[in-house]
Parts: sequence; structure tokens; C-alpha cells
Amino acid sequence: MATYAEMVEIYEDIKSDFRYDHELNGCLNCGICTATCPSAQFYDYSPREIVQLLWTENVEQIYDAMQEKIWACAQCMTCAARCPFKNSPGGLVAIMREVAIKHGMQSAKDVLRPFGRVMLKLITTGNQLSPDMIQPDHFPDWGPNIQKVSGDLKILRKAIPMKTLQTTDTAWEVSLKTSVEMYTIWEMTGVLKQLETMDENLYDVIEDFIEEKREEYADWLEEQEDNKEDA
Amino acid sequence: MSNPTNEPRGIAGHGAFFQPTDLSPEQAEKATEWVRKQVDRRTVDLGERMDDVRDHMWELEKDGEIIVHRITDAHKPVIVKTLFGWDKKIPTSQLWHHKSCGQCGNIPGYPTSLLWTMNGLGMVPGKDYLDETDQTSCTAWNYHGSGIGNVESLAAVFLRNFHQAYVSGKRLGHDAGHFFPLVHCATSFGNYKEIRKYLVESAPLRERVKKILAKLGRLVDGKIVIPEEVVHYSDWVHVMRNDIASKLQKIDVSNMRVTVHMACHYSKMVHEDAIYDPEVLGGNRAATGTGIAQALGAQVIDYSTWYDCCGFGFRHIISEREFTRSFTIDRKIKVAREEANADMMLGIDTGCVTTMDKNQWIGKAHEQSYTMPIMADIQFAALACGADPLKIVQLQWHASPCEDVVEKMGISWADAKKRFEAYLEEVKAGKIEYLYDPKLAASAAA
Repeated sequence: MATYAEMVEIYEDIKSDFRYDHELNGCLNCGICTATCPSAQFYDYSPREIVQLLWTENVEQIYDAMQEKIWACAQCMTCAARCPFKNSPGGLVAIMREVAIKHGMQSAKDVLRPFGRVMLKLITTGNQLSPDMIQPDHFPDWGPNIQKVSGDLKILRKAIPMKTLQTTDTAWEVSLKTSVEMYTIWEMTGVLKQLETMDENLYDVIEDFIEEKREEYADWLEEQEDNKEDA
Repeated sequence: MSNPTNEPRGIAGHGAFFQPTDLSPEQAEKATEWVRKQVDRRTVDLGERMDDVRDHMWELEKDGEIIVHRITDAHKPVIVKTLFGWDKKIPTSQLWHHKSCGQCGNIPGYPTSLLWTMNGLGMVPGKDYLDETDQTSCTAWNYHGSGIGNVESLAAVFLRNFHQAYVSGKRLGHDAGHFFPLVHCATSFGNYKEIRKYLVESAPLRERVKKILAKLGRLVDGKIVIPEEVVHYSDWVHVMRNDIASKLQKIDVSNMRVTVHMACHYSKMVHEDAIYDPEVLGGNRAATGTGIAQALGAQVIDYSTWYDCCGFGFRHIISEREFTRSFTIDRKIKVAREEANADMMLGIDTGCVTTMDKNQWIGKAHEQSYTMPIMADIQFAALACGADPLKIVQLQWHASPCEDVVEKMGISWADAKKRFEAYLEEVKAGKIEYLYDPKLAASAAA
């Protein structure tokens, strides 16, 4: 449990995000956001409540909502499209999630643990999922016939008439240079640091991977130089 | 109102406190009338309170701050109207395919149907469109699911990818700006538009991101490149719908009952940019998806939960699937089946098609045995234009009973499957058929 001072710090972090003033303009308590919210139908979650807590600067309840409620939001932004005040409760939730991660909240770690596969794929390849992740073993609830033609995944992917899609471990073939550029973006924007706060083991795996890819790219560049000189 | 146990009723609400209101259908109809009036009709009154970000872009360009990647006559643009009646320019040629990781990974018939249709309309790969390896995903699925990432990282990814689109034609002998990005995924589309707004509004953000882009070598004359429009593939399909129907259609689909699911990140994120057309559902709902179904002559069937999201939830489809499948069955599949008696549901986005397609079988566990073929608008269009259901439309990757749609269109699924299985043997022997010369895909880099 955080101290009151820590809760205030968390609230100030939310409020200082430059999007905050875009996303919160007032609240009539009309509840149309909650009426059209898919998550409100299944969870103890209400976008109206999130807006009210922030609008009234209720730091303790904001902290409480960050334990579980903010993770119920489906980020569909129906609330934002409907709000007569042009608030974006979904946008506010996105800010609160970022702040939960920045403060290394245990609830965020717990919620995100099963999402690790997607993060690993994204950070290392620039793709967010791949054909080899969407196999029947991973999704038994999708049923026994999630594909209508069975066979070797590699061959089935080769039968897609676009060269870039004939891959199994990425959704499309991503050039090495592209991936290396992505790593720079992750580093310079603090994303790798976020990841380290959330899951140190995953971070270590990713760091090793990035190092390896960068070496591979450096070798490729050297090879190009050599070829040029030879020519 | 029935209350057989005579227990006191608390207020109806959500979450753990939820209690059924036990309203009769008539009472429920009356109680929700006001909300429906708001939801079912397009609202235009907010238009005056909203700035058009594009006006500010031109000012920034004039001040030497940014370069705007323009849509020129060479892109053969078509002008459409958006929610507030604003004009939006949709390029129809010289397009850089900005692929979707969910589509390519899971519903590959989405991009293949699109490229097949472009080829059918006489577009030349390498000149009129380009599909290449030098692109990342928008990374917004992960951001909306996990909160890992931030505006700066999303902005850097946006500008990196769109810079690549701007310069991509050079290796093929074209000028800078030749290819204009066509964004396949609705989440990428919504995210990029949101980020474009922030970039235009915030000088400090531009400064921070510029440093990253400089390090990547992705500035032009020391400036960031921002596109004149952010264009979704369904925008392109919408403006080309009559050409597709008149020039390519081979199969009469007037017997098909079609429901359309509008992607949230198409019509609810930066919603002022979504296309509305008075000829499509009275101009009260976003037009894409529905427009092509109408142009092909299918029966578009309305349904009461058209405004609901699919239940994808970004994180939920991975790690809280009970929400995803419950929502999609209750609010989409069941309604399309029972209320609309539809033959299929068309989507215009990655997550929606995946969610609704994959989460049907599990309904049996809760005595919710509803099935509904799910595919993208462009897959349906390609089928109507005679594309092979497996080789081109790639319906073998779908879990929902898409073969029912194929059969109802008069195509033998069994024959198509046999042909495809024979083709797989050729693929094994290295005889692969492509929609474009595969050499075009490789960018100059490793």
C-alpha cells in the first residue's frame, strides 16, 4: 500500500501528461460513456467513475482504481466518441496505465505477465504477433478446427502469394535494418526502461537479442563495405 | 416486473453490483430510447468546436517546421466527406502498403485480396503500389493492451514508417513522395491520426522526436515528414467500390444477407476523419465496409448492436479471453444470427475479424451455439469478383464457417480445397505463384 505522499506523486504524474488536458474537460455525470462501454458490462469498471475520480482529484480512489479497474478497459474509445464534453476516459486510462508502469505497481506486473509473449515479439521484431504464435495449442478455446487446411505451417505460409508474408516467426518479413532502427526508438524513448521495471527476466532476454541483432547488422554493413572495396 | 423471491432489489449497475432490471422488452425499449437516439444518428453539432489538424499542418510547413507528404494528381485522388462534412482526399494509385501484423499473421487473405483487386483494376506493382520489408508495425496494439510504450515511441514509429513510404520509390527510380502510405489496420489508422494531432500541436514533442529521427537518418532537409492524409485501406475500397463492382464483379451476390461490423478505431478514434456518405445508411454511420457491400448488390441488414465493439480489448484477447468471447458472442454473433439472420458479418479491421472469427466454437460450452462466417469487406469483394477462395482469399485460415458463404455464392468449396491441396504440392516443389514480382519486396537494406 502506498503512502498518501506516493499517491499524490502518482496523481501528479497522471496530471502532468501533456494529453491530460485533451482528455479531461469536465463531467456532467451523464453516464453515456458507461452505458456504451463494453467492459462496464462485464467488470466492476465504469469510465464515468474514472473521469469523476480524476475530475475531483480523489488521489486515494485514483490509486485504488489503478490496482485493477484501469486494466478492464478495452481501449475501444467508444466512451470518447460519445462524451458530450469530449472527454476521453479511454485516453485517461492509457495515461494511468503508463504511470502504473512507471511506478512499478505490482498490480501492473501481475496483469501484464501473460502479455509477455506479445511484448517479446514486438520489441525484438517490430511485429506484434506471428503465425507460429497462433497455433491450436496456444488457443484451445478457439476450437479444434481453427484452420480449414492442415499441414506444415511453412508450406502453408509459402502458399500465400505475397513474398513478404511467407514467414512463420514474424507476421511479415522485416528487414534487419528496420529492426535495428526500432531498437534505437525503444532505447531513446524509455520503452526498454519501462520493460525492465515490469519484468527483469524478459528485459534480459530482449537485451541479449538486441545485442545479437546489432552485431549481425554491423557485420552486414562491414560486408557491404568490403564488397565495395573489392569492386 | 417479476421478482419471485421478493428480495429487495438494489440499483442496476455494473460489475459485482449488477442485478437484472427484469424490464419487459417494451419497457427496456422505452428506457433506452434516449441513448439509442444519440447512438443511432450521426451528430454534427460538435464540428464547430473542433479544429481541423490539417490546417495547422499547412501553417507548420509554411513556417519551415515540417514537410507535408502531399497527395498529388499522380495519386489520382478522390474527394470524400467525413463526419463533419469536411473533405478528405483519398489517393487511389501509387500506394505504399503499410501492412497489419494481425492481418498478415492471422488473416493473410486480407492483404492478398486487396492486392489481387488492385491487380484486377490494372494497377502495376512497383509503380502503382509497393509491398516491401522495410516497415514495422505501428506498435499500438501493444500500447493499448499493455501501456508499454508512450506518445514519443508511437510518434517515432509513425514518422519512421511514413518517412520510409516517402522515400521508398527511390530504389525503383521514382521521385520522393511517389508512394503514399495506405494503412491496412484500423488501430494503426486511429493511432497514427491521434499521434499526428499531438505532433502538430506540440512543439516539444516534435523536438524530442526529431532527435530520434535524426539519429535514424530519417529527416528530409532536417525536417520530419507528415502525411497530408492518413488513409485506411477501407477508404480506398470505398472510393473504388463502383469500379470494383462494374469492372470486376462476376458473381451475383443479391441473395446474400450481410451485416457489417464497424471497427472502433476507424470510426471512434479521431472520429472527425471517418468517411460518411449520404448514400450509405442515410449518412448516419461510417460508410466504409457497408458501401462496398451495397455496391456489390448484397442485402445489407441492420442490427441493434451495430455500434458495439467486438470485444477484442488488445490485452483481453490474449490474457482475459472470457471477456472477449462472451462479449463477441453476446453482442455480435448471436445478434447477427438471431436478429439479422445474416449469412455473414463483414469487418474492416484486424482485431475485429480475428475476435469474431475465432470465438464461436467456445460458445458451445455455455450453450451459446451460434455460428456466423466472418471475413473482411475486401475478401467478400474478391470472392464476388471471382478470386479463388483459398489461393487468393485464403479462407483456410478462418475458423468460422466461411465455406457456407462460398457455397451460397455458387462456388464449390470442396473443389476449391482440392485445387488448393494440389497447389500445395507445387509449392513444396518451389513453384509458387505471386501477385507481384517478389524482387520488389526486398528493400535496399539487409
